[in-house]
Amino acid sequence: MDIFLQQLVNGLTVGSIYALIALGYTMVYGILRLINFAHGDLAILGAFIGLTVITGLAGSGGAPANWIVIVAFVLAILVVAIAGVLLEFTAYRPLRDAHRLSAVVSALGASMFIQNGIMLIWSPQTLTFPEGIMPATTYNFGTVIISATQIFIVSVSFVLMLALYLYVNKTRFGTAIRAAAIDQDAARLMGINVNKVIVSVFILGPALGAIGGLFIGVYYRQAVFDMGWIYGLNAFIAAIIGGIGNIPGAMIGGLLLGLFSSLASGYISSTWQQAIVFGLLILILLVRPTGILGERVANKV
Amino acid sequence: MVKLRIVLATAALSLGMAGVAVADSVTFGVQAPITGQYANEGQGMEKAVKLVAKQLNEAGGLLGKEVKVVSCDDEGKATQAALCGRDLANQEVFAVIGSYTSGATAASQPVLDRANILQTSDGTAEQLTQKGYNLFFRNAPPNSAEAEFTGDYLVNVKKYERIAIIKDHSSFAKGLGEATAAAIEKQGGNIIFDGFITAGSQDYRSILTKIKSENPDIIYFSGYYSDGGLIRAQQASLAIDADFVGGDANQNVKFAEIAGKAAEGSVIINVPAPANLPYPEAKQFLKDYEEAYGESPPSIFTLTNTDGMRAIVQAVQETKSFDPETVADYLHGLRDFPGFTGPLGFDDKGERLGSAFQAFEIQADNTYKTIYPQQ
Repeated sequence: MDIFLQQLVNGLTVGSIYALIALGYTMVYGILRLINFAHGDLAILGAFIGLTVITGLAGSGGAPANWIVIVAFVLAILVVAIAGVLLEFTAYRPLRDAHRLSAVVSALGASMFIQNGIMLIWSPQTLTFPEGIMPATTYNFGTVIISATQIFIVSVSFVLMLALYLYVNKTRFGTAIRAAAIDQDAARLMGINVNKVIVSVFILGPALGAIGGLFIGVYYRQAVFDMGWIYGLNAFIAAIIGGIGNIPGAMIGGLLLGLFSSLASGYISSTWQQAIVFGLLILILLVRPTGILGERVANKV
Repeated sequence: MVKLRIVLATAALSLGMAGVAVADSVTFGVQAPITGQYANEGQGMEKAVKLVAKQLNEAGGLLGKEVKVVSCDDEGKATQAALCGRDLANQEVFAVIGSYTSGATAASQPVLDRANILQTSDGTAEQLTQKGYNLFFRNAPPNSAEAEFTGDYLVNVKKYERIAIIKDHSSFAKGLGEATAAAIEKQGGNIIFDGFITAGSQDYRSILTKIKSENPDIIYFSGYYSDGGLIRAQQASLAIDADFVGGDANQNVKFAEIAGKAAEGSVIINVPAPANLPYPEAKQFLKDYEEAYGESPPSIFTLTNTDGMRAIVQAVQETKSFDPETVADYLHGLRDFPGFTGPLGFDDKGERLGSAFQAFEIQADNTYKTIYPQQ
């Protein structure tokens, strides 16, 4: 039982990070019907910015103070949000009226651009985060060990997801976002500034992604320029199984993916971990093709 | 036209014979990646060989002959390597030190063997000594030797009772991990877990949690330092009370950086880095190298190649002959030659005998301390 709980803890932590990144994919898809392949790279850009801030302000001696970590998060969010808006302006807005495929290719190109940019600006090598960013305390429940970092990540993720859910469902602007996601033209006719909605989605999504990316950096104490591909792919799949375009769906998808991953590796086989996880995802999609919380959307003919 | 050809042929022959006649010198060839991604290693090899040649000449030459060195840049590529082999054969070298990579070595082996030229290389791929090239000598221990050392260390020296093995899917780590598992079983060790991680996937907590449930007393990891450091750090965060032993690819300063506080107490098995070599001749050579070139040798393989050359030199001096077959026979019987990288010998396939492996423990200040064999 203890092993199961431990795997649960491991899985929840990783799942929360996936969920934060998946939210960006799902929101952009909801509004633009576009998979923003560059989102994974934007997310881990947050990790690199955070690393630069932390090592810049704290130097190399000892554990960084709490305020430095907070500043790192804030700056990472700001820079990545700006990058997200810039991305929208340069890579997607000019292609709004073009063929869907053009936007997809543009997204892939943007992904490679950001990835290589990170490699050139920071380093092709793996960069390490200093120790002591999070307190090293662990809590023991029987033989289950939960670290302060894990609690931090899971709790902050849940708070953020709850905040996003409330924002999208209970505020006026959130309603505008949902309206634009259902039908852009009708929303425009209703007096909603759709461009503003799009820009705000490209601020919110990458901002959450940046937090997720910096969590990756803090949890594993590493940042590699090509992390964005793997995390982006996993988060994208999480968004799909939750129902792409559906915000609670992305949250559930992310958590499920993390849990599956952890339990498959722990109980079945670590060798087949990836294969098992994706096999399970295929099964879910066979049973519910639009994802767990996805709605049947009628296609315009 | 035919007459012209006869004249040219005679001229070439006489030039050739003139070259043979002026036999006060013997030429060693260096085939190395002097440019390209391994340039660091290739240039180190070239410098080391030239230094040994210089030292020999200062001591009166090799059997009275001046030692000359010619090099060929194989860029670390098999295609270039084959051309280099041909080039060095045309220059009638006596022996070739090269190449750094197993692939480049394998490409030049047939050419050099047909030209009756001795060859020594640090390439660790098993097949280099399995093709029956009588004049080839491997100067670095192959992966199978590391596996045997590790098996012996884990079972006989440290007497671990519950061994967990983690590999990754790369051919190096898989090969080393499987060979080590076989060696452990041969020594009668008890392997309680044997599994893979996907290198670069960062989160190893789930596999470590599974390992924790099996109560290991040691975790052996045969992959690379970037994952090894993470495994060690995550092992500590899960409070798994087991020793950590890593294969040779874990030896890198980044390992300690990534593992953080958990790095202390990790053990890594590898041939020693040049700075850690305990032998006085090695230390002397390192000093000479620094004096001549203003820098340290890039890696231990510079020194193993140097040992290969010195073994050949020893063979020539003992047999008083430059005949490749005679020298090769001597080398096949060589045992416990005092190399810079440890006692050196060759078996009848040209495989290096005498394990230079050591187990070192990472100290609190991230330096290495050799814990086995005791010095």
